[in-house]
Order: sequence, then structure tokens, then C-alpha cells
Amino acid sequence: MLLRPERMLGRRCGLAASRRAPGWVIRAQSSATDTPAAAPAPTPAPAETPAAAANGDKPAKPAKKEGKPKGEGKGKPDKSKPVEDVRGVRLRKVEDLRTQGQDPYAYRFDRTHLTAKLQEQHAALAPGAEEPSAGEVAVAGRIVAKRVMGKLAFLSLRDDSGQIQLYVERTALDEAQAGGFDLVKNLVDVGDIAGARGSLKRTEKGELSVVVNRIEVLTKSLQPLPDKWHGLSDVEKRYRQRYLDLIMAAEVRDTFRSRSRIVSTIRRQLEDRGFLEVDTPVLEAVAGGADARPFRTFHNSLGRDFTLRIATELHLKRLVVGGFERVFELGRIFRNEGVSTRHNPEFTSVEVYQAYADYTDMMALTEDLVRECCKAVHGGGTQITYQGVDLDLGQPFKRATMADLVKEACGLDLEAQMAAAHGEDAEARAQRLVTARAEAEAALMAYPEKEVRKNIAKVRVAPSLGHLLNVMFEALAEAGLQQPTFVLEHPVEISPLAKPHRARPWVTERFELFIYGREHANAFSELTDPVEQRARFEEQVARHNAAFQKRKQEREEAAAAGTPQAQNEDDEDAYEVAVDYDFITALEYGMPPSGGLGIGVDRLVMLLTDAASIRDVIAFPLMKG
Amino acid sequence: MTQPETYVLPEQWSEELKDENGEPMSKSEFKRRQKANRVAAEKAEKEAAKAAKAAAAPPKPAKEDGPALEDDSNEITDPTAYFENRVKWINAKKAKGVNPYPHKFHVTMQLPEFVEKYGSLEAGQQLTDVTVSVAGRIHSKRASGAKLLFYDLKADGKKIQVMADARNSDLDLEGFTVAHNEAKRGDIVGVVGFPGKSKKGELSIFPKKFELLSPCLHMPPTAHFGLKDQETRYRQRYLDLITNNDVRTIFQTRARVIQFVRRFLDNRGFLEVETPMMNMIPGGAAARPFMTHHNDLDMKLYMRIAPELYLKQLVIGGLERVYEIGRQFRNEGIDMTHNPEFTTCEFYQAYADYKDLLDMTEQMLSQMVYDIKGSYKIQYHPDGPEKAPIEIDFTPPWRRISMVSGLEEALKTKLPADLESEETRLFLADLCAKHNVNCPAPQTTARLLDKLVGEFLESQCINPTFICDHPQLMSPLAKWHRELPGMTERFELFINTREHCNAYTELNDPLKQRDLFQDQAKAKSAGDDEAMFIDETFCTALEYGLPPTGGWGLGVDRMTMLLTDTNNIKEVLLFPAMKPDETGGKKDAAESS
Repeated sequence: MLLRPERMLGRRCGLAASRRAPGWVIRAQSSATDTPAAAPAPTPAPAETPAAAANGDKPAKPAKKEGKPKGEGKGKPDKSKPVEDVRGVRLRKVEDLRTQGQDPYAYRFDRTHLTAKLQEQHAALAPGAEEPSAGEVAVAGRIVAKRVMGKLAFLSLRDDSGQIQLYVERTALDEAQAGGFDLVKNLVDVGDIAGARGSLKRTEKGELSVVVNRIEVLTKSLQPLPDKWHGLSDVEKRYRQRYLDLIMAAEVRDTFRSRSRIVSTIRRQLEDRGFLEVDTPVLEAVAGGADARPFRTFHNSLGRDFTLRIATELHLKRLVVGGFERVFELGRIFRNEGVSTRHNPEFTSVEVYQAYADYTDMMALTEDLVRECCKAVHGGGTQITYQGVDLDLGQPFKRATMADLVKEACGLDLEAQMAAAHGEDAEARAQRLVTARAEAEAALMAYPEKEVRKNIAKVRVAPSLGHLLNVMFEALAEAGLQQPTFVLEHPVEISPLAKPHRARPWVTERFELFIYGREHANAFSELTDPVEQRARFEEQVARHNAAFQKRKQEREEAAAAGTPQAQNEDDEDAYEVAVDYDFITALEYGMPPSGGLGIGVDRLVMLLTDAASIRDVIAFPLMKG
Repeated sequence: MTQPETYVLPEQWSEELKDENGEPMSKSEFKRRQKANRVAAEKAEKEAAKAAKAAAAPPKPAKEDGPALEDDSNEITDPTAYFENRVKWINAKKAKGVNPYPHKFHVTMQLPEFVEKYGSLEAGQQLTDVTVSVAGRIHSKRASGAKLLFYDLKADGKKIQVMADARNSDLDLEGFTVAHNEAKRGDIVGVVGFPGKSKKGELSIFPKKFELLSPCLHMPPTAHFGLKDQETRYRQRYLDLITNNDVRTIFQTRARVIQFVRRFLDNRGFLEVETPMMNMIPGGAAARPFMTHHNDLDMKLYMRIAPELYLKQLVIGGLERVYEIGRQFRNEGIDMTHNPEFTTCEFYQAYADYKDLLDMTEQMLSQMVYDIKGSYKIQYHPDGPEKAPIEIDFTPPWRRISMVSGLEEALKTKLPADLESEETRLFLADLCAKHNVNCPAPQTTARLLDKLVGEFLESQCINPTFICDHPQLMSPLAKWHRELPGMTERFELFINTREHCNAYTELNDPLKQRDLFQDQAKAKSAGDDEAMFIDETFCTALEYGLPPTGGWGLGVDRMTMLLTDTNNIKEVLLFPAMKPDETGGKKDAAESS
């Protein structure tokens, strides 16, 4: 707690020195402007900003007491009370404005310029010079800093594009707008939305300013802006009150702009290639296309249960059957799973299907999409840093089969085992699996790391060579894939929707793209054979539901015996699933050979905006109650 | 279950003829069965012959009088037999180590390009030195003698002819015959060959190679009868898309509508954002929400009914122009204009008011109509294609009606000035009774007014018309009108008597907002379960200051209906919500076993 101010200061300095445009600095960094003391003040002033508290919010009696609450609340400020008081004062100002005939909640404002435009157009204006040619400009935005010095007042006004200084001189303003200066002094607070008109000049200190001849409060704010945002120990608050996060932090605004740019780049790239964007249902009878616990809901008038989609795959493939040869959907997916830095119950994916293409075509498409998105948010560049790791998205992505990666890591050749097992009978296969598991376990034991060894339990219960390969990949290879890598040819057993490889049918024509050890894309030559698809679904569902029944029974027995419920750490089977027979019928009508691709949009945004948590790229992540 | 005894069809039809269930059989039914039997017998014979031939390896050299080419006329007519036969066929292929589902076929040209590029060839002209590779679905197959076949091949909404002549094929005649006898109507095939036109002038590809890429195991709907049954069309949309070309166009138009809105807003500096579809509180509209449950967090969640409150928080955060195009969910009945999930666009623009939005709406939608239909005036069939069409004229400017004065004019009466009073409520209830307007309980002033407006104003709006200045008690999120006391700065756009847009100057006074939410809470406890929830988080956000802002919503599905001349929302949704299909899954399961 006590470390907070220092750390916060450090963050801020770092930010000020960063590449952000000068117009974008947040209030506390505006030391370069004419507002001398706007930098973090030594007084903690718990809720109200020092500048505002000193100048405006206390026109009446308790000004002194309220404005400088020295000493008290040095460590943890008393949150509620001063905020209440500031709100009370501001509510009075709302009334004051009304009695002066000013609407504290104005209806509209005609602005002539965004501030960034003004900064750009008049970049060449010399310090101390006026810009008569610009004539009168009108700007609007939030007041993020305010300083009154005798007959002068300086305000910083920020809009969507950037920031500009308002230069307010008592005589000049009062001449054009009677009582204008007192309005600024007494009724305008940091946090208010204001509109101002005037001429342009650059001050001696070099700050482009609007010399105000008319100012109005457009929306009176009742709550003071927080003084210290980055230092907030309560990161939850950033997500719960995202609007404050956006007001206070330029990089948060940039993140969401980047997100929008990434999404529109994906869309444009696909449209340019002749893909049609479609909307398929969120509410489904059977959740399919992935292995994840779905949300359930109930439709009253149909008297029917629905599940929320966990993927768009099965509907999009129906459309390929229907003759839309290139389709995509960019939309929300829902999974009823835990919340973490990489998981939010609702997230955005793009799924793409292209008839007459296969997984190699999808690799080319994936590379193009990722690279174009990177360029779109990094000014054409393809070298990025994510969480301190330099990543090169410009080179052709590395390609390696899953089996080769495992072999490289521990010497175990599971591909050879799978190939050998391919023609064998069930008994020989089972024996081969037992041997392979033992070898895999021995290989893992060679690692001292707990993270690796914890996979031994999974190795012991791997139901097939394919599953075993996957466990070994996750244990040994996945995390090391920092530079973009296509991991190829997953085993059939873990790829129920992918086509068997044309030459090595024990694996599939599938890839996942890994960057920074994380999966970013998943694609395959789509399985189009309805007979095989039915068999794979039924096998998958039977295995899943058997596990579900077993667990249910165990739980009931435990409950009956009164033994405390063991916390099920791996509860992913704790729901029933069903086969989507309608989808199989669709396949029976003939789906052209097709390539399909899914990209996790949130993760791509995280990667390209250097965001550590998925919550940093979702405007309103789900929070605990 | 006991199997019924095998029913044997007699040689001749007679009046007394009964079917296997003892029901009288019509002559046409008899003929149908007779033909089916004949076809099945022929088929079985051929299969047997083929099997015998396959068994008697090595292959013999091709003979002039090899097996005949099969076409649509040889098709098995019993759906179950058809399906089983084809499954048998693919299983046989697999047993021989041949993959009936090839991994890749390289397409060099999509059909629309083929049609554009070669559509102007002369009849009889053939570009034998050009090789193209196309793929698509077979819609019909006709044999002509032992060496020539014609297929209709469709893809991407275009059709060409495949003129398969054994003399052009890379295969010998026997190979040619076998390959083409495997292909059936409905199959996806790839064709490598040269472009040209038949003597009759039909644009064709003349194949050297002909490859079956994905067999259609079911009998597809015939081109002649098409697919009309609505249930089947919606439940099996892929069949609808295969059979009915105009259905495809509907969804292309839908994509254009969305694309137009997106470009329009992008060009004006709006930022597209995504806000949650699952909330703790469903806010931003008056509707019954879907409920769900998050297991891990053990939390009750609602599906969103509107993104409004989140988007306004982003405007508070300084994103001055934002929009979201996305799905909304309302737990309400299904009818011609309502589906439980539907698509809207909402945008918010700081420093704009509803007057700005009136102009923007006119501009956006009239340009959209012109862009897609090539005219401001469109033909629309409000009661389906069989009934008479109406003309809807989108030429701006559009009519604007102020709600209460409009209603007073229509009803030739004066409403009491204080809309909040009990006196007004009773007055409106009397009006409803007098004009036979049904308003189910609870008869709140808002609901009574809504019914009257629906009856007397909305029903008059065929051409785009703005109904403006709704009373505050109907509009808890809109800002009070600067000139008309008790009213708000709001409009709804009606076209063909239906609401398409809803917009207002946003209420940004947090105290007033809280009061109005509390009124809604009261209405809710009085039994109006469409009244809004109080969203404390949103009220707090407003206290940080929402700039003067105009907000706007468009029903994307309804707009698409207008531009595709459809009068049922299910026509513009790829997979509309349907009643549970009790037989669906089971039937298919049985089919396969």
C-alpha cells in the first residue's frame, strides 16, 4: 500500500516519455503546459483533484478545510465522505448554472474542429504568435485540468482526438460573455464537459491554445475524476468502471481503437477475397463444433431449452453445403468456463470456410490475416514486442508437425508408433499404448520442473496414442513456441472435425498457430465424409457422457455417504452432450472439399496491443458479482 | 416390432386393388410404384452386372456396346433405397482403398467469372487450347447415346453446362462410362476442360477430367418441383439455398445492408466496438430477457436486450462516436416480425441531438435503398408475393409527425396537458374503449398511449415517416424536450407501418435518470414486466458526465426484409428459431442404422 505513490509516479513518467502523441498526455503529465502545478500534488486530496479542489469546488465556506485535507488519510484515503461532499457541492453548481440561465445538461454543440486537427494544422505556429487566419474555432470535450491564476485561467480540454489548452483572460472573456470568467472560476470543474469558442495562439511556453471568448458547460459532472488511476491497487475498478479507465489512460483508448482496426482489417481482407459475411444463431438446440461446456437458457413461449453457441463451425459448414463457397462469421462465442487472464465467458472469434481449399491454403490465409492486422496497428511494421518478447510476424511462419516437436523435445517418436498401430488389431494397439505411456512417463520424469511433471497423471490415463501425443506436446513443446509457428497434423483422436491426412491417415490435415506459446488459430481440411463424421461424433459423445455419468454417480455416492465433496479440479466433463444429427444430414447432401479456419480475435488483439490480460482488450469483461 | 409381410404389386391395376395396409390404391399410385419397381429392378440388375464385372478382373478392353450411360431417368425413386444404395457405394469405394471424399480439387475459375469471361462466345465455338478448372453441384444429368452426357452445373449462383463427350475425355470409353455413371444429381464435382458453347448456344465446359468430389447421399429436391415447404426450407436451409437461387440473393443483400451501415458510420469517424451480450442486469430497452447461469462463478446472467447502456458508458469514456452491430435477445413470442435473436445497429454521437439524427437517418437509409435497389422507390409485398404490392418511396425529406399533436388530430380530441395524472390515464382508457383498441392490463398511461399511436398513427405510415416527441413516460432514457413540456426529444421511424429506427437526444442528467428508472421499477412491481430494470452502475457512470449525445438504433433484419421484398423475418435469417423438431434427430438416426 505504502509503495503505491512511488510506483505510480514511475509508471506515469514512463508513460510521458513514451511514443504517445503530445496531445494525448493525461492531466497529471501536463507539466509542459502553462498549468504549473498540475503534476501529482503532494497532498493526497483523496477524491477530488488538487487543482479542482483548490479552485472551484468550494466556493462557499468549507473551502479551506475541504481543499487541503493535510495529513489525514495519507495512507488509505477516506473514500466515501469527501466524494459525497464534492457531489453535494457540484449539485449546488448544477442549480447555480440553472439560475444563471445556463443549462447544465446542454442539448448539442457545434464544434468546428477536433483538437488533433488544430494541433496538426497549426504545428508551425511560433511560440507567442497568434493565428489570425484561423478565425474563430469551436472545440468541445472534457476538462481534464484547470488552473486559475489571478486574472488568467488555463484549462486543458480533451476530446476523442487529442487535447488543447483553453486560455482564459478575465477582461477578454467578460467583454464577450458577461460573468464568463467567474463561471470558469466558480462553476467549471475538472471532469466537466465544456464547449469553447475563440481564436488561436501559441503561448510563450509553446502550448497551442484557444483564446476563449465564449465558454459553456455542456454537461456538469457530479463525480470528481480520480486523481490517481494507474496506481490504483484495485485493478478490478478499471474493468468495472471502464469509462474512467478510458478517460484517464491514453493507452486504454488506443487499445480499443486498435481492436476496432484489427476487426475491420480482418473483415476487409476477407471481403476482398470474395468471402460473404453471415450471421448464424447464437441460440442453438445442440451446442457443437467444439468441446466446451455451454450456457443454457430457456425460451418461454417455445417452451424449449437452448444452449448458447460454443462455436460457429457447424452452421457455417451447412452454408458451404448450401452453395456459399466462401463464408465467414465474426462474432461472439460463449463458453461456460472459468474466468482467467486468457478466458472470458464471451469472446469473439472469426471462422472462415472456403470450398475447394485445404489446410495449406488456410495457412497462407492465416499468415496474411495476422500480418495485415499487425501492419494495421503498427504503422506497417511486422516486428512487435509482446510482454517483453520480440516477435517477428514478417517472416514466413515456421511449420512443424506435432509429433516432430515432441520428438525434438524428448526423443520419443510417437508418429512411428501411430503409424505402426494403424494396421494393428485392438489388442496389439492396446499393448503398444501401454508401452508408449511408460516411455512417455519416463521422458517426463527426466524433467525437474513441476509444471512438466504434473502431466504424468494425464499420460497415465491417455486413452489413445493420439491423446498421448497431445499431452506430450502440451507438456514439452507448446510453451516454447514463441515465434509464430504452425503446429501441424494433430492426431485423429483429438480432431473430430478434421479430415485424415491424405498420406498418413492416423493424423489429420490440421494446424494450430502458436505465438508466445499460445494458440491463436485452429484450422483444417474439413471432414466432409458423413459416415466417418457420424462415427467420430458418436464415439466422442459416448466417451464424454460415460465420463459424465461416472462422475455424477461418484458425486451422488459421496453425497449419500456424507463424505465431503472433493473439489473437482478437472470438471470439464460435468455436462452432457449430444450429437448434432441435423449437421450430419447436411453433410450427407454433399459438402465440397473445404478448408476452415478459426482465429481468436481477443487473443490477436492482446498480442498486437501488448495486453497481458484478455480483460484489457474486452471493454466490459465479466466480473464476479 | 414385426415386419409386415412383403407386399407384391400385381401386374395390372384394378378398382379393388388394396395396398399393404388394406387401403384402396389409386391408379396413379399404382403406376408410380410400378415404375419404382421397374427402376429398382433395373438398378439391381446393373449393380449385379457391375459387381460381376468387377469381380472378373483383369479389366477387359472397352467394347463399343459397353454399359449404357445413366442419367436422371434411371434414378431410384424411393428415398430410403436411394440413400442406402449410395452409402453402400461409398463404403465399397473405401473398401477398395479409394477415398470418395478427395482432399483437394484445384479450382482455377469460379463460375461467375467463367460466365462473364466466356458468355459471349459464338454458338458452336470451342476454345480447345484453353484449360480451366471449375467445380460445383450437379443439378441435372441427361445422357445422349453412349458417349455423350449433359450436366447442369451450378455454383455461386451461376449455372453452366458440362458437355461430357467420351472423345474429349482422358479416359477410355469404359472408364468414361464408369466415372460418369457414378455421378448423380446433387453431387459436387470438379471439371477440368475447355470452355465453349454447344451448337444450341449453351455456355459449356468440355471436360477432359471429371472428378466426383463429394457425393450427395440423399435424393435432392427436383428442379421441377423445387422446395416450397416452409418448414423444410428453414430447418434445412442448405437445401433451400441449393434449390432456390433467390434465397441466396436475400443473404447477399443482407450482407450489403450491414456493409452499407458500417461504411456510412466508418466514413463519419465512428468506432466499431463490442459490448457484453451477457449482463447482470438487462438494460437499455423494455423487454423480457433470457436468463442463464455461469457455473464457475455461480452467477445468474441475462442475455442483453440492447447495448445502449454500455455504449453510453464508452461515450462517457471519451469515445465520442461509437457503434455496435450485433445480436440482441428477447424472450418473446415468435411471429412474422419477431425472432428471439435479432440484429441491430446502435450508434452514439457526442454533441449531436435528435434533429441531427433525423437528417442522418434520412441520408443513410435513402442512400442505402438507392445503392441496393437503384431507385428511391421500391415495390414491396406486405402480404406475401401472391397479394398486391405497394410502392414505398424513400425520396427524402420524409414526413415528420409530432406524436401527441398527431394523435389529437387523428382522434379529433385534446389530451389533458398533464400526462402523468390519473385523469389522463382514465381519459386514454376511455378513448381506447371508445375506438375498440384493445390494451391488456396493466393499463398504464404509457401502454394505453402506445396502443392508440399504433392504431391511429403507425398504421398510416407506409412511406418512411418519423413519429417524434414521445411523452417522457414512454421514454425513460430520452432527454426531456426543450420546447414541449412532458415530451422527449425522440423519434421512431416507421416504414410500412413498422418501426425500423428509434433514436433520441440521450438523457444525461443523472438525477432525472434515476427518477425515471424508479418510475419504471414501480411499473414493474405493478405488473408491467416489460418495464426496465434499474442499473445503478449506469447511473453512477452518468454522474461522471455524458456529453450531449444523440443515440440511434436500427433493426437490421427489418430493413433487410424491406430490401428483399420479404414479409417474414424468417426469410432474412439463415437459421430462424423453430419449434422443437421432435422427429428430426431420431429420424436421421434411424435412417443410418
